[in-house]
Amino acid sequence: MDRNSIEKRLNDQKDLLSNLVKKAKTNGIDQVEIYSSYGYSEDVSLEKNDLNNCTATEENMFGIRVIHEGNQGFIISNHIPSLYQSIEEAYSLAKSQSTPDFDLGLPEPESIQNHFNQYDESLDRMGIEDLVNSAKEALGWRNDLYSKVNIDSGDFSLSKGYKLIVSSKGVMAHELGAELSASVMGMGVDGDLVGSFDYDSASGFDKNQFQTLWKKAFMNFGDKCMGALYAKPISGFQGKVLLPPDAVYSFFLGLFIGSLNGTSLRKGKSKMAGKLGEKVASSLLSIWDDPTNNGLMGSTGFDREGLPTSKKSVLTEGVLNTYFYNTFEAKKAGLPKSNGSASGGAQSLPGCGPKQLQIAPGTSTKDEFFKLPGKTLFVNRISGTKDGASGDFSGVIKGGYLLENGEKVPVREVQIVGNAFEALNQIEAISKEGELLGESSFVPYLLLDGFTITGVTEE
Amino acid sequence: MRNLLKECLAEESGFVELRYHHKESRSFFAERGRVESTALRKRTGIGVRVLEAGTWGFASTSEISKSSIQNAIQVAKKAARLSSALRKDKIPNLPKANFAIGDFIGKGIEDFRNRTVEEKLKLVLDIQNAAAKQSTKLQSVGCGYSEIYEEKAIVTTDGADSFFSMIRPEFRVSAVAKEDGKMESGSHSIGVTGGWDCLFRSQSPTEISDEACKTAVDLLSSSLPDGGLSTVILSPSIVGLLVHEAIGHTVEADFVLSGSVAQGKIGHRVGSDLVTLCDSGYSEYYEGAGGSIPVDDEGIIPTNTVIIKNGILSSYLHNRETAERFGVAPTGSARAWEYGDVPLIRMRNTFLVPGDSSLEEMIANTKDGYYLDGAKNGQADATGEFMFAVQKAYRIQNGKITDLLKGVTVSGLAFDVLQNIDMVSKEFKWDLGSGHCGKGQPAKVDAGGPYVRTKVLLGGK
Repeated sequence: MDRNSIEKRLNDQKDLLSNLVKKAKTNGIDQVEIYSSYGYSEDVSLEKNDLNNCTATEENMFGIRVIHEGNQGFIISNHIPSLYQSIEEAYSLAKSQSTPDFDLGLPEPESIQNHFNQYDESLDRMGIEDLVNSAKEALGWRNDLYSKVNIDSGDFSLSKGYKLIVSSKGVMAHELGAELSASVMGMGVDGDLVGSFDYDSASGFDKNQFQTLWKKAFMNFGDKCMGALYAKPISGFQGKVLLPPDAVYSFFLGLFIGSLNGTSLRKGKSKMAGKLGEKVASSLLSIWDDPTNNGLMGSTGFDREGLPTSKKSVLTEGVLNTYFYNTFEAKKAGLPKSNGSASGGAQSLPGCGPKQLQIAPGTSTKDEFFKLPGKTLFVNRISGTKDGASGDFSGVIKGGYLLENGEKVPVREVQIVGNAFEALNQIEAISKEGELLGESSFVPYLLLDGFTITGVTEE
Repeated sequence: MRNLLKECLAEESGFVELRYHHKESRSFFAERGRVESTALRKRTGIGVRVLEAGTWGFASTSEISKSSIQNAIQVAKKAARLSSALRKDKIPNLPKANFAIGDFIGKGIEDFRNRTVEEKLKLVLDIQNAAAKQSTKLQSVGCGYSEIYEEKAIVTTDGADSFFSMIRPEFRVSAVAKEDGKMESGSHSIGVTGGWDCLFRSQSPTEISDEACKTAVDLLSSSLPDGGLSTVILSPSIVGLLVHEAIGHTVEADFVLSGSVAQGKIGHRVGSDLVTLCDSGYSEYYEGAGGSIPVDDEGIIPTNTVIIKNGILSSYLHNRETAERFGVAPTGSARAWEYGDVPLIRMRNTFLVPGDSSLEEMIANTKDGYYLDGAKNGQADATGEFMFAVQKAYRIQNGKITDLLKGVTVSGLAFDVLQNIDMVSKEFKWDLGSGHCGKGQPAKVDAGGPYVRTKVLLGGK
């Protein structure tokens, strides 16, 4: 499967979907939207420090949305010959409802300014043999450098495809993409000692970019597994936590960003309701969403509704600047149109959310955080739970360290409890350095104070 | 379908496995007085797995035709040959297995086909409307109903030849309550493998809704428990999470081979005498457990696998490959979420066998501790360290339940927690049927058991 054949398929499908939408209109179905997601991938998987499986998969999924007199029906299918029947089924689902909301409607088309070429044709010269070679190389790194690290699973993938949206309102947008990616999960094992599992991943638009990032990610994975191997229980304390970029993004930031979702706001489930223009976080924190930055993996010119994306400020020095809306939620909020923040893909209705968050770097050097006086808990990962409404979170620290008097002691059986909205004001410092997570979002280290840490040993 | 698959295999000599999978998922959700979403998801295709030159190759196709399937077989074979040179530990053979032969039609499927979309929409809308009127503190109540209908056919060159189908409905209510700027949420859900009557057998939709709303409102006046190592009585839903997360994952044979804490522990004491733990493809004690399967995704009839017998570790969970490596029979634990997924070793219905005590006696016998109820999520580690989140923690003082506290995260080391079990109740409940387990791909599972008393680390103030 190469770029030419994918482009041909895309062009054929544009015609097919346009004709289906026309046919639906002719038959009295006025508002139809079809979101198509096509992917071809070759994968090589690892298991138990060995190669496990080679796979080749190809699939085209379609998300079909029909709106009829304020009601909506949605069908997801991978069966091209019956797509028109699926439109009729979605129409039937919409008609069977009795609770219309006339703010519900497909958006009018808008001109898309940013067109990305995320398909490097050099990937067309690669195949499963190259993935097997990458797997062989990674197993070599494991044997030579991390013999106490067991690879539980891993995956190397070469994927190509497109997304396409067509609607009866005249929306028509598409993007091609191709990437190499890899991930690994495992743990340190030394005799009867077993460490916490950890993982890392990398992706790239071409072979060179991928290889550089993947080697770095694998070494990071190996170091994290080894670091967690000789962990000890500690006693609890009240104090500082240091979050590396992964933990900031995956656990801490998620609750706050979720509270800016237009749907949560409308339903009265967000603590950030009515706070636009107010200071809701430490002045140290500035966040923006920028899907328009060419060269990043998450960049895209249009959202789940086919409307143009744009750069927008979320927080400026702790002051809240925006919420995220799709077309329906924007109308419910009294806005003339959405801000291009419809999220999701073919297998979901349009939600509301950011595309590519960026956090402004701070002024501290991250190394300073590792030499602070007193106790600081370095939170590599939180295995836990979070509540979107209250903002409460709690969990077990994985691969963490107690930083004390310049020493770094790996810890286990340690829990942390907190509240994400309060934590926004508990930020004490932000590092200058950070990481481009998933080659998409820049995230620095965050130092926070005032947390309850629970351990199992007595002081 | 079985005939088409067998036709595709007629000229194959090595090991080839064909798995047809058609899946339809319907969901209806109401909130704030209206139907917020209705969706139908249909996905159909064939997963092709081959064992060639000592390694696996896999391909899939959504086109159900002889030529497309045969092409996928060739793609999978090519993939296997390409990888064979690198794989060190070749797979010599797959063991003989108790293959399912014939058609296995699940219970309750006609029941759901006979119920209209309008009936299901009315259910979520009526329950949501009634619930929202219960308290002025309720900001929002969401009610969802969903069902997954699946049919599969599995045919292999070494004898598997079956067609099976099943229906899995779920019902859930989530509520958010607000007072003086404080917000709390409560949720309650059920899920079964079976018909409509089976879904609402133990609790009506209204009772499920009442429980979710009451939790959200009650938590507004709760605070955090004291953190630390505590004596706890766990409800069946929490026991389900415990045995699934803390033990079940560590005994999946692929994870054992990677070095999980259960490696080398067969025959060793890992729990108190009161602990007998099983994972079954069937619904023990009563019908409807959400992870029940008539046939696994390697075409094998599943077993009731006794993992721990009276505190002694007695078995891991196996697919055909690991069964060969360990020299045992496959347990029928291979499962794939979609046709494009490779079958992995997964739990089905995991449970602790009931004991002799009653919940009443257990509370009366606890001087200082907590009663934990309402399973949220959970995760486990290779080390045996696990965490699970609970909705509600009730303080127990001098044999009586006192204050409601916010349930938080509970953690411990799996085998330590099992060793510390000192009371197990007579009562039994499946209570995790609306859950999905994640391990690279989702799987529908259930878990449950009696009430148990043990010690865990409770996160708190």
